[in-house]
Amino acid sequence: MEVAVETIVNVMMLSSIYILVALGFALVLSIMGVLNFAHGALYMISGYVCYQFATQFGINPWLALVLATVVMSIFGLFLEKFCFRPFFGDINRTIIMSIVIALVLETTVNITVGDKVRAIPDFASGMLKAGPVLVSYERLITLIVGGILLLFITLFISRTKAGQQMLAVAQDPEGAILQGIRIHRVAALAIVMGCAMAAVSGSLMGAIFQLRPFAGNHMLVKSIQVVILSGIGSIGGILAGGLIIGTLDAILPLFTSGAVSQAVGLGIIIVLLLFRPQGLFGREMS
Amino acid sequence: MMEKQVSTGKKSRLKKAIIYVICALMAALVPLFVHSVYYLHILILIFIYIIVTSSLRTIANSGQISLGHASFMGIGAYTSAVLAKQLGWTPWITMPLGGFATMAIAILVGYPFSRLRTIYFSMVSLFFGIGMIAVNTIFSKVTGGYFGLIGIWPLFGRSKVPYYYFFLGLTLLCLLILHRLENCRIGMSLRAIDQSHEVAASVGINEAGYRVLALAVGCFVAGLAGAGYAHYNLVLSQGSFDLLASINLLVYMMVGGVGSFAGPVIGAAVLIFIPELFRGLKQFTPYVFAGVLLLVIFVMPRGFVGLPAQIKSWINRRREAKEDRVAS
Repeated sequence: MEVAVETIVNVMMLSSIYILVALGFALVLSIMGVLNFAHGALYMISGYVCYQFATQFGINPWLALVLATVVMSIFGLFLEKFCFRPFFGDINRTIIMSIVIALVLETTVNITVGDKVRAIPDFASGMLKAGPVLVSYERLITLIVGGILLLFITLFISRTKAGQQMLAVAQDPEGAILQGIRIHRVAALAIVMGCAMAAVSGSLMGAIFQLRPFAGNHMLVKSIQVVILSGIGSIGGILAGGLIIGTLDAILPLFTSGAVSQAVGLGIIIVLLLFRPQGLFGREMS
Repeated sequence: MMEKQVSTGKKSRLKKAIIYVICALMAALVPLFVHSVYYLHILILIFIYIIVTSSLRTIANSGQISLGHASFMGIGAYTSAVLAKQLGWTPWITMPLGGFATMAIAILVGYPFSRLRTIYFSMVSLFFGIGMIAVNTIFSKVTGGYFGLIGIWPLFGRSKVPYYYFFLGLTLLCLLILHRLENCRIGMSLRAIDQSHEVAASVGINEAGYRVLALAVGCFVAGLAGAGYAHYNLVLSQGSFDLLASINLLVYMMVGGVGSFAGPVIGAAVLIFIPELFRGLKQFTPYVFAGVLLLVIFVMPRGFVGLPAQIKSWINRRREAKEDRVAS
């Protein structure tokens, strides 16, 4: 019973974080046509930014989270303007550019902070007791914040004009330009949203797990798994894909060791993709 | 994604062949002048990565950008090393076996993977690479897992010179195979599949078959290079074959220039050599690597191989501007 409740909380928490990070990756991929290998590094560095605000400057963790999000959004604006816009539509060079960004961020953190274990102060301490079940507030908060943010993002994309413009650009960039949509502005909005979501999830996860300079690679792979499994160009699909990957990641380690569960999880994803070569909800992309 | 520079005529082909032969001869003379063990080591590493990057380009030519190529290199390396260590066979037998084992696995996964196209193929090959690292950890009793495999049989004695000539020969042989494959009918079919798999299928090209063929040949070559690496380095660690290594291979290929056969050769050579020059900077070395990449993408849109053509057009433009000024 306790294990079941804990597992369900873990599934929901991991899924919401995966979906948040993967959504940012997917927005950048489908709107800007950039395979952003730096997305994991952005997730990683926002944890460190939040840590810096919360410990060095002694700011309340919640305010630090907001500040980290703002800083990362501005950084996203910078990335769009100076790093990705000059190579718009050239996938080879944008891939190299994203690798450069990831390399620079990871090296900088590695030099300045190093391998020393860091953790963001708790957003909320203590455990929730309900009968025999114990759940840490930290995980519950992560779940709730992630869920609320996701709700807002999906509402934003489906209800507002800017969101509809993003969908239009994702479907057909040239057609969107012909309709008078400012494609670079939409791209900037997409990468800013991606960075902000990465910042929120990076900060929340930084309080639960430890911060490490190369932790972003793991998250990058997870978000690629979510995006590819659900299929490119489908926002609703990402919710389902994130839930599948989160469930696999939370349940498989209960039965086997780390490496076996990783291999089995990857095997399941590959087999699913072999049955649905365009992802579960996707379309073919050139 | 690919652009092929069309070069026709016997004369230009002869000229190219002469350039290749001169390059090979110059490479063969290097150990007479370079006695530093360290630089020979770097050159040997460059040879190994030239082989692997070129084989990656062969696969990419068929429209399959593999992001798990380093893991295929690792399969060859571990197969050969484990066979030599456990069964006591000589590396001269186990190295080709490593190549064939890699090819067998490539064919096994290549057929189902040929259902996937473009980015889906790339990402599934990425998952395959990560899965292989996990498999390596699972069988850590045999492969050493996370802590690496040590005590591998060496090919030659302590001197690096025999290794140098061995890897030079291996590089030339592999490049010859890949070059022949690219410039025969099969290579044309592969490029056709890359440009449009539907049109290629409509003129009777067996898409799945050719794609698996490209994967098999590329992975055989990569496995061979990996096996050579195992018996040269004598220590194998997972980190040499993980996602980062695969991405590095992709970067070598793109920076050199995807469109030309010489691209991966130049890309691997330059991108391995330049960071080594700045080794004194220690943990700051990745910045040098990043700087080189930035220079390439901002200044050389077609990679290193596009540079001569770019300079030529720049000079021509200068000359025309000058003539215009004189005329007016």
